[in-house]
Amino acid sequence: MNNNNNNNGNDPRQPSTAKQYVPPAVSAQDLPVDYSGFIAVVFGIAGVLFRYKLSSWLAIIFCAQSLSNMKNVETDLKQISMAMMFAVMGLVTNYFGPVRPGTQS
Amino acid sequence: MASSSTWSSYLFIPRDDTLLYFLALLSIFSLLTQQLTRHSVLASSADFEGFGDETDDIIDDESDSSSLITNLPFRSPLPPPTTNLETDHGPPNPQIPDPITTTPTNPNNLDFWDEDEFEGVPILEKIQETPDVIIPIKTEVAPPVRSPPKNIGSFTVEIICVSFLITFIINYFTGKKENENIALSWASRFATKDSIFDKNFSLLGTGDGKDTPLLLKEGQNVFKFYASGRRFCQGMLATMELKSRHDLISRLYNMVVPCKDEITFEVYMNDDGMDQVVFALAKKKAAKVMHKELRDLQTYGSLISSGPSNRKWVAEELMVISESKEVAGDIINEAVLDQDESRLGLYNIIEYFDTGHNVVFGDKAFPKFGKEFISMHFSDQYMGSHRKMLLLKFALPDAKTMADMTRLVALVPYYIDLIGRYKLSPQARSKTDVARAKVAQEVYKELQNARQEALQKKKAEKKKMVEEAEAKLSAEAIRKKEAKDRAKQMKKVMPKVKMTRGH
Repeated sequence: MNNNNNNNGNDPRQPSTAKQYVPPAVSAQDLPVDYSGFIAVVFGIAGVLFRYKLSSWLAIIFCAQSLSNMKNVETDLKQISMAMMFAVMGLVTNYFGPVRPGTQS
Repeated sequence: MASSSTWSSYLFIPRDDTLLYFLALLSIFSLLTQQLTRHSVLASSADFEGFGDETDDIIDDESDSSSLITNLPFRSPLPPPTTNLETDHGPPNPQIPDPITTTPTNPNNLDFWDEDEFEGVPILEKIQETPDVIIPIKTEVAPPVRSPPKNIGSFTVEIICVSFLITFIINYFTGKKENENIALSWASRFATKDSIFDKNFSLLGTGDGKDTPLLLKEGQNVFKFYASGRRFCQGMLATMELKSRHDLISRLYNMVVPCKDEITFEVYMNDDGMDQVVFALAKKKAAKVMHKELRDLQTYGSLISSGPSNRKWVAEELMVISESKEVAGDIINEAVLDQDESRLGLYNIIEYFDTGHNVVFGDKAFPKFGKEFISMHFSDQYMGSHRKMLLLKFALPDAKTMADMTRLVALVPYYIDLIGRYKLSPQARSKTDVARAKVAQEVYKELQNARQEALQKKKAEKKKMVEEAEAKLSAEAIRKKEAKDRAKQMKKVMPKVKMTRGH
């Protein structure tokens, strides 16, 4: 890329030895654990099963965090989309679902 | 275009665990529809309850038997169902009157009340003693329960969560921009034309073309810079690990537990370009941790508190880990410890580094120029993809004050040349050879032990197999023997019959 040699003979550059950058192959197992995605799934399921509004909202917040820190689309997106579905499902059942017996507004 | 097609195929063609993913989707969808249908059924079922108001019917019956029936209380009509959206539990409204308790009943006739038999039959109360005039008393029907008007206080959770999400989104873009600015500031300072890396490496950046970007973005907070084509080394990879400014939760966490932006230089040395050197320099706490955790330092290195005699040494807050004092003295030489302030003015900053004067680690220089220094680790026994490596780790200053780390960055090419040219003295080499031979012997012993264990396991397995085979064979032999014995027994038990030949 930069082959302009200095006039002095003490130039450390050696264009002949230059090697292209090869990113190291990282297996899916070696990738760091997506904790926020996992927490989002847990909160999402809790929101759907126990019908806690706060739980579903927290699931959406952790989904956003997981999405912002996403490095590998293939592996991470499944977990994030799963968490997102549970979170949205929880909110739908909480706000538009039938009223639980014995509750008053 | 290709990416969109792969994306669509990824979504719609089930492969591996995608099938499970779709099943989960389907189950969630079915759950949603079930909930919604239940909701609609509950809403409409109220129309079929009771078939109208029974209080309109007046029963005119003069017989005693009929009076028994008509004196029974009304069946309470159901109040219209209320579909409230709030699901929080609350106590039932005490102001709603109970229709059964408000119904006036004749105390004489309470004994005849049977819920199952007289369901839905109205009661008529006699005002006078004569059975001719019967006036029905209607029960008070509860008015439909209306949900109270909702104030802002009942939406606290929603307001907080939505505002947090909005803040998160805004912070994502601002934090992302901030990190990019720091990375670009570093690159423009040290990796552009006529900068320190341009003067030292023939290939800059991760691409092969001329217009390829210098930095490789691996995440919102990880940036990489690659350089190659220099004597003594195969290449150099600088990894900037910045704070997660784009992530609001991480940012809040970093307010409680502070951390720094870091840059790590990994220099991959040529096999013939590095002698047997194991050396590390870091702040005292970090040095002790490194000595415990890093295998090569643990095996070959020892903590060195003082340098060679009659020599200036590193600043008090720093500690050296090395194989020998000689190696430590040669690596931490006068060039990086020079305290003579008058010499600093002789060169402008770039020329100063080109001449090899990298004053950083001395008592006077370190507080000024070494603020961002974290650690250095040189090893020919590195555990990783490359055996011979130089690792230099520094903290990154703000984008505006990037010039503060110029001296630290200049240490990278300086130490590449120093280590590349460095040759151990015969005494030091003999020591390092002995140490490496010892380690090699230990490794060999471990391998031998592992092999022996494997052989023993194999032998044990073979033995087991043979024993099992023998057991099977012996079992068959025993069976045959038993069969023979049985046959003999049968022969003995059978009655003896004399055979006579007829003439």
